[in-house]
Amino acid sequence: MLVSSMSGQQKPLELILARNLVTSIATPSFLVARDGSLLFYNEAAGALLGVPFEEIGRMDPTEWIGSFGPFDADGSPLAVEDLPLTLALREGRPAHATFTIRSTKGESHEIAASGMPIVSADHGASGAIIFFWPVDEERARELATETHRAHG
Amino acid sequence: MRLKVWGARGSVPAPGPEMNRYGGNTSCVEVTTASGETLIIDAGTGIRTLGFALPPDMPKINILLTHLHLDHIQGLMFFPPCFRAESTICIWGPTSLEASLEARIARYISAPLSPVEVRELPCDVSFVDAPASEWEIGGATVRAEAVTHRGPTLGFRITDGDTTVCYLSDHEPALGAALADLEPEWISGYNLARDADLLIHDCQYTDEEYPGHEGWGHSRVTDTLTFAKRVRAKRVLLFHHDPLHTDGFLDDLHAGARKKWAELGGDPAQIEIAREREELVVGDTAGAIEPASSPTTASS
Repeated sequence: MLVSSMSGQQKPLELILARNLVTSIATPSFLVARDGSLLFYNEAAGALLGVPFEEIGRMDPTEWIGSFGPFDADGSPLAVEDLPLTLALREGRPAHATFTIRSTKGESHEIAASGMPIVSADHGASGAIIFFWPVDEERARELATETHRAHG
Repeated sequence: MRLKVWGARGSVPAPGPEMNRYGGNTSCVEVTTASGETLIIDAGTGIRTLGFALPPDMPKINILLTHLHLDHIQGLMFFPPCFRAESTICIWGPTSLEASLEARIARYISAPLSPVEVRELPCDVSFVDAPASEWEIGGATVRAEAVTHRGPTLGFRITDGDTTVCYLSDHEPALGAALADLEPEWISGYNLARDADLLIHDCQYTDEEYPGHEGWGHSRVTDTLTFAKRVRAKRVLLFHHDPLHTDGFLDDLHAGARKKWAELGGDPAQIEIAREREELVVGDTAGAIEPASSPTTASS
């Protein structure tokens, strides 16, 4: 797809580089803006969430939380304030948690997630990057294999 | 706007008979606005000879530094106006959390690398840590934004009336990114370069050389052209020549770039290559598309 016109405001360099990084790695990764909007997730995250990013595009926090969760072990929605990405954005520090997400295919995955703030030297917090992976080791191996095959 | 290239080489000066036509001095471009104001972009070794050409009574000299790698500041210590008490010089450069612009430049202009210290320079020199922002110099608008390179690095967009020149001397926008398909908002340097009348862009490597240099902060020919196509640049000046690239090699690189540009649907004449001492006129003031001087045509 060749987009010839500006589809949004130019992203700051640190977010551009963060996207370039997550595009290039096999660890499921999620990139959010300072306001919590979903900016991008990579192929490995798409395999876990059941849909590639290109099919859904940018989402505001209520949209992506409504689509993917998080939920606790009983399936009840978790408070957004407790998510690693929220802590990373609000407090400017790395945070980690384990919870359940739901794919667009209806599958539930227990994941561990680590969120890290992205802070620019020029203009402060730009967003956060979240790396996550299935707690279930077998599923994690499957995911890694799928991603490996996809790039093979 | 009028431009003169005083140094087009990247990384390290590359003098020698096989480099004579394109020159061996490192990055330095003089920009003269419609109102006659002069801006100097980068202070590679080319700035030394530029300094001799400037009128001694020039009221104020503005130097825009993209970054502080040596090939962009090495000429500062040999810039004649620095040693004139009547000179006023303002140096703009990228911010860093580590230290001020002045303190970082002073690491070069200080012992043991230099016989003089910044504080000993007789000129009136000031340093401006330039964040991603826009400001005016002599009627022209200068916009600076961080771009993909190693370490804090700025690109510049200079707009004078209806004419815009973009300078991205050290830039690797395709690092980890599919330039041809990516939305513009995710392309490093896009806003600076879009619809520029002249895009001066890093083209240090051929496509064959690039795999051994990925992540070094420089572009290969195909990525330079893809970027130029995406931003709809009207003219492109290939810049920051590798110190190993001789005149003959650069002739071939230029010819290959023009051929590739034609394959992308462009007019080959839009693709030019920087030569030391070459003068270019950009915009309607000259009514010209081609360079003011008549550089040698590519040989193949």
